Amino acid sequence: MLAYLLVSGLASGCLYALVAMGLVVVYKSTTVVNFAHGELFMVAGFFAYTLHVLLRVPYLPALLLAVLASFALGMLTERLAYRPLMHAPTISLVLAAVGFSFVLKGLARQIWGGRGDYIPFPPLLGTDPIIFGEIVLVPQQLVVVAATIICMVLFAAFFRWTRTGKTMQATAENAKAARLVGIRVDRVYALTWGLGAAAAGVAAVLMAPLTFVYPDIGMSLLVKAFAAAVLGGFGSLPGAILGGLSVGVIEQLAGGYLHTSLMEISAFVIIMAVLIVRPTGFLGARGLRRV
Amino acid sequence: MRTFRFAAILLSVLAASVLPAVPAAHAQSAVGVTADTVKIGTFGALTGPGYLYGKIIMNGAETVYNEVNKAGGIHGRKIVLVREDDRCDAAAAIAAVKKLIFQEQVFMLHGGGCSNATIAARPEIEKGNLPFVVFASVADEVTVPTHPQIFSTALSASIESASQLEFALKQGATRIAVISQRDAWGRSRYTPLMEHFKRKGITPVADEELSGDANDATPQVLRLRQARPDAVLMVLYPKPGAVFLRDAHKVGFKPVAIGQTALGDLIAFREQVGIPGAIDRFYTISHVRYTVEDPEMEKWRALLQQNFSSDRLSVYNVVGIASAQVVVEVLKRAGKDLTREKVQAELQKLKGFDTGIYPGVITCTPTDHQCHKTPAWIQLVGDKVKTVAVTPVER
Repeated sequence: MLAYLLVSGLASGCLYALVAMGLVVVYKSTTVVNFAHGELFMVAGFFAYTLHVLLRVPYLPALLLAVLASFALGMLTERLAYRPLMHAPTISLVLAAVGFSFVLKGLARQIWGGRGDYIPFPPLLGTDPIIFGEIVLVPQQLVVVAATIICMVLFAAFFRWTRTGKTMQATAENAKAARLVGIRVDRVYALTWGLGAAAAGVAAVLMAPLTFVYPDIGMSLLVKAFAAAVLGGFGSLPGAILGGLSVGVIEQLAGGYLHTSLMEISAFVIIMAVLIVRPTGFLGARGLRRV
Repeated sequence: MRTFRFAAILLSVLAASVLPAVPAAHAQSAVGVTADTVKIGTFGALTGPGYLYGKIIMNGAETVYNEVNKAGGIHGRKIVLVREDDRCDAAAAIAAVKKLIFQEQVFMLHGGGCSNATIAARPEIEKGNLPFVVFASVADEVTVPTHPQIFSTALSASIESASQLEFALKQGATRIAVISQRDAWGRSRYTPLMEHFKRKGITPVADEELSGDANDATPQVLRLRQARPDAVLMVLYPKPGAVFLRDAHKVGFKPVAIGQTALGDLIAFREQVGIPGAIDRFYTISHVRYTVEDPEMEKWRALLQQNFSSDRLSVYNVVGIASAQVVVEVLKRAGKDLTREKVQAELQKLKGFDTGIYPGVITCTPTDHQCHKTPAWIQLVGDKVKTVAVTPVER
């Protein structure tokens, strides 16, 4: 049973990690938690459904187009919900993001909501389980794991070796200084939000066969991704991965060995415990002060 | 002169106080009724995940009403159906019924998809003092405590829960497990299910919980598998139900799985599970004895396709058709001089009414307004939904 639970936990954890990565990317640059991130994930899933299932676009082009559409939606979110309130108190930004999430959910209901209950999405690789000794996985779970690794490597490379990535890091470090050296901070923010939404888009398309596509999926995944980001250290991309995997495994072990009723609350318990015991999370940076 | 003026004033005052009451008293009985129309209000989810229990059922009901209208209506009155969207949401349901009762001034209500929404709207419906026939909400609280004006043609949660256990026992199961959601909807079925276990003197061999938003049910499947049940009673919505059966199939755990009406659309459920063979041993409850594809429903299928071509056909259309037939029958029996009180009286004494579509007859009594007590059990065999049993339940 332990092996099953660990493997399932890691597979679920990759789901949370992928969603958390998008959350952390936006936070790193803007210090804003995007509470509409779950709905960006949801809309991306519906984009993919429309392209691949309704319009019969082949899987990979549908994936790419859905991710591009998510990127554009992320930039739109920044333009409508974040930029006008950039200098407003944080609570205003939070409320704007929450409000935007309700708008997205409402639009999704209007456009796609009447087409079915929980919409199934065809998997990339078929449904026959893959057996490794005593471990059983469905192929789509392996796709999610692989995608998580690839996204992590791509993000790491992006921030380390590309000019744009370094510009984003500089802006996150000190937006004023970035402006002074000629960095177009507003463009960086737009790009950041687009990138975060694109990460949600990748997650949505790859996970749709496991999670189904429906208007209410955003909030529950946002909570898990938030727990993952908090556990890993908000602001740390490797932390988001580690946090996501940990949340997935903790959830499965709690359900398997304690009681299944604990699975749903485990994410909330993690958030509370981390904020009390180690607020910076596993890999979050402690603030330094020069004296 | 002064006397005349006084008398005129007195008469005016008397007229002002008496005359408006006369049309008001008459209006109470004639609300929503004209010489050639009777207005029926319906509410349920027109959008969102609950739309199967709202819009699709309404489509079925409207098809019946259209046919009645084509034939000249009921006692010369055509039925006008007014729809309101409650989005399966409590607050929206309250707003929807208020609008139907006080703005649209309907004669009666025929609706109620999601139980939580209908329960929330019940106080407003009681205030409106008009007949209400429930077509899909199954929570016991919808009709209990009994209200003179509220009747249900849907099975109730406690009837379904008792029937799940009865069906498992009829299949020869001796080790029975339960997996359930524990939100308000889940509890409304889980609690009577556990009571029925107790009445039968049986203890579940495993009792696991699964969230409505779960994307993985591995712990639940492993714990259930350890208990080696012959049958698993599922108190789950389609998403967690599909996740459970998918993960069970993945680890080779294939007990007899027994669902309820939330999993009533077997074709859609099979698509959601997405693994061939995963629902071969899955049985579930249907409110009605036929699916929309059955030959007996050919006429209605054609009408649905003609009138609602953009909507997928579903067994929930048939639920609407059957429930509307009850409403039509009651309106006929109430007679040409139609009042709410007469409709209420006819509903109270409706006995043994066979729509030909419900598995059993519809019977209401003055103390029991839960008028449908005969679940049908269905299974998907190939691409066909087959009725495998009918299990009347006494409450």
